[in-house]
Amino acid sequence: MVGQDEIVKRLQSYVKSRNLPHLLFSGPPGVGKTASAIAVAKELFGDTWTNNFTELNASDERGIDVVRNKIKNFARTSPLGEADFKIIFLDEADALTSDAQSALRRTMEKYTSNCRFILSCNYSSKIIDPIQSRCAVYRFGPISLEAIEQRIAHIAKIEGLEVNDEGMEAIKYVSMGDMRKAINALQAAGLLDKKVDMEAIYQITATARPEEIGSLIDLALDGDFIGARTKLDTLLINQGLSGEDIIIQIHRTMFDKSIPDILKVKLMDRIGEIDFRLTEGANERIQLEALLAYFVLAGKGNDS
Amino acid sequence: MTEKPTEWAEKYRPKNLTEIAGHRTIINDLVSWANKWETGVPKDKALIFYGKPGVGKTSAAYALAYQMEWDVIELNASDQRTAGIIQKVAGSASRMGTFDGTSGRRLIILDEADNLHGNYDRGGARAIISVVKGTSQPVILIANEYYQMDPALRLACKPVQFRTINSTTIVSALKAICKNEGIMVGVGVIETIADSANGDLRSAINDLQAMSIGKHELEVDDIITAPRDVKETVFKLMDHVFKAADMRSAQQAAWQVDESPDNLINWIDENLPIGYKDAHDMAAGYFQLARADLFLGRVRRRQNYGLWRYASLLMTGGVSAVRTHSHSGYNKYQAPQFWRKLGQTRAKRNIRDSLAGKIGGICHVSGAYARTDLIWFFKHLMKSKVHSVGLAAELKLNPDEIAFLMDTKPTTKKVGKIYDEAQQLIKDEIEHDIEVFGGFGKEKTEKMQVNSLLEFNGTKGTGGTEGTDEKDGTEGIDETDVSHTDVDNADSVATEKKNQSSLFDF
Repeated sequence: MVGQDEIVKRLQSYVKSRNLPHLLFSGPPGVGKTASAIAVAKELFGDTWTNNFTELNASDERGIDVVRNKIKNFARTSPLGEADFKIIFLDEADALTSDAQSALRRTMEKYTSNCRFILSCNYSSKIIDPIQSRCAVYRFGPISLEAIEQRIAHIAKIEGLEVNDEGMEAIKYVSMGDMRKAINALQAAGLLDKKVDMEAIYQITATARPEEIGSLIDLALDGDFIGARTKLDTLLINQGLSGEDIIIQIHRTMFDKSIPDILKVKLMDRIGEIDFRLTEGANERIQLEALLAYFVLAGKGNDS
Repeated sequence: MTEKPTEWAEKYRPKNLTEIAGHRTIINDLVSWANKWETGVPKDKALIFYGKPGVGKTSAAYALAYQMEWDVIELNASDQRTAGIIQKVAGSASRMGTFDGTSGRRLIILDEADNLHGNYDRGGARAIISVVKGTSQPVILIANEYYQMDPALRLACKPVQFRTINSTTIVSALKAICKNEGIMVGVGVIETIADSANGDLRSAINDLQAMSIGKHELEVDDIITAPRDVKETVFKLMDHVFKAADMRSAQQAAWQVDESPDNLINWIDENLPIGYKDAHDMAAGYFQLARADLFLGRVRRRQNYGLWRYASLLMTGGVSAVRTHSHSGYNKYQAPQFWRKLGQTRAKRNIRDSLAGKIGGICHVSGAYARTDLIWFFKHLMKSKVHSVGLAAELKLNPDEIAFLMDTKPTTKKVGKIYDEAQQLIKDEIEHDIEVFGGFGKEKTEKMQVNSLLEFNGTKGTGGTEGTDEKDGTEGIDETDVSHTDVDNADSVATEKKNQSSLFDF
């Protein structure tokens, strides 16, 4: 997996030579796909960038008629100002139906004198082969926690915010490798107080402290159901977290628990089941209690 | 900026047939096909080019036109392709001769012919068939998936398969580009790009350009575009799932693979019996896979993609963790077969479904009911010499459907005879209708167009509705084609009327 640094270097050299192939950016959310596309347009076109750059979110406009009308019309009209070509950015292109993707193929080729396409997607396997064949494919990996720390420190300095060590750890925890989440958390916490600490970050992002979730799981696995339920009530009532917030964090915390793999899989399966029931509208306290009871049973080794 | 920036895949698109990489036999056949057009109208009026992306189908069509000095009219999936539009653009081009009467053929290219949209391109396939049948100009259809095309359309054209380009050919094409662009390449660079292209020349050119913009020397380390084919990385993931010491490494390997969980499960499903030979492990593995599938189903139904995390974990870490034996040694993994098998029988299933639709139509039942409960009965009827022709006429069956009911091939004599007799019967009845109702108004034309699914030959007397157009249409076309042209014009009158608004969208 290539780090973003090298992709950025490549993009910079495209800007320098004022030429661009069609690009396909693939990778998880919040790793810089959209940001890269916009940055390329800004550096290429300068002040006129908004005239020569159009952004379509394919999950909103995903049908074949959008490709045949809106996109084709933008593609075949000449670029404005000094620009040599325009850029069409199709965000979440994997949401385009495959018919719509097919309709895009010849448009990408016929109007290359006027325009270039940048497509972004989460999984490149959702983009049909003929489109991939027409693009240079760049795979964006998840962002390292160090990179997030650097970036957050940089932004905090510019914005005059003070982030202490615990606060930084909290930002990294809630970001889950997603830069957008990290920056949003910093901004939201910074609005309340110039001093950003752990409490503010967890509160603003509806996140329990990892230790609290850890102790919730440990209490249950050790057989203390009442203790675990008291903890659960605190999270639900005092901290105002939703059942879904809690279940997602339980899921995350399980990865680091040192219990046998086979047991971990069973617990994870059960967590997923409860997650599903919560999204179906089941009562969060009863469902989470049922989960904790299952943990108690699993912890005793009586689970078959 | 001295030169306008270009896309190499376009800049180096071959102009002449000789510049096309590979496909020598095809090129020779094409040239002799084209030469036949110089002296008349050959038997195969339309060809279907089919094959994987980036192997040169569109380029070959354009190069042929360039070399023969033919004009080109192209319709592709970026254009709306309803019956009316196809008739207007391709249909008129296919019939009109040139005004000076000399050569000047016009090549009609229908690109992405396997991608007609059910709703937006309504009637498109049928219109293409009528263009192909009535054309006096060469037609080339281009498609990726031959068997996704309408069977009647396939019958009307001659297939030409474009195979993938071997990597030696790709290497020499890339070297030529580098030379022309003045780029120095290190050892193995071009070979690496060519190998990862899997026979897709265009993607190789794109990768080369992506790495060389703003550079004059290239090394292997400069290749940072990602491979388009994920097979290699998925095979590595299989080893992690079936052999790794702990589930964590299986999961981490899954994160590296650019496949969504709903695709990935097909790979694990295919290879689980290859990875786990022990019965207990296989059963336990499939239990995990089934749980993962349950979560995928919930995602599909509820569009709640958060649940993908459990599906992912169960199909990789879950399958890995339940193993009780160690399975070492080399495994020969394979790509998912199920979808390929489905694809191979797609043509047959399409015939069955269209047949069920027709039967359902006249029996007033759903297509599904016709498929499960009635087709066998019609198969039986079709065996009877007394009923077969009448049945084929009543249902307006095409040769594919007749062959399906008779469990034989559409090219057999028996099928051809029933089809021809049925067509004659349909024609007779129409003429009878005309006599009874005294005339053949426009309304009737429209109605008939709906009724007759594929074609109807001969019926005259529609000319009066369309004066000048008809003259253009028949000009310079030999006697035998006239009746065809008449019908086609009648068709286009009817359909153009219906699609008036969409004509202007084009």
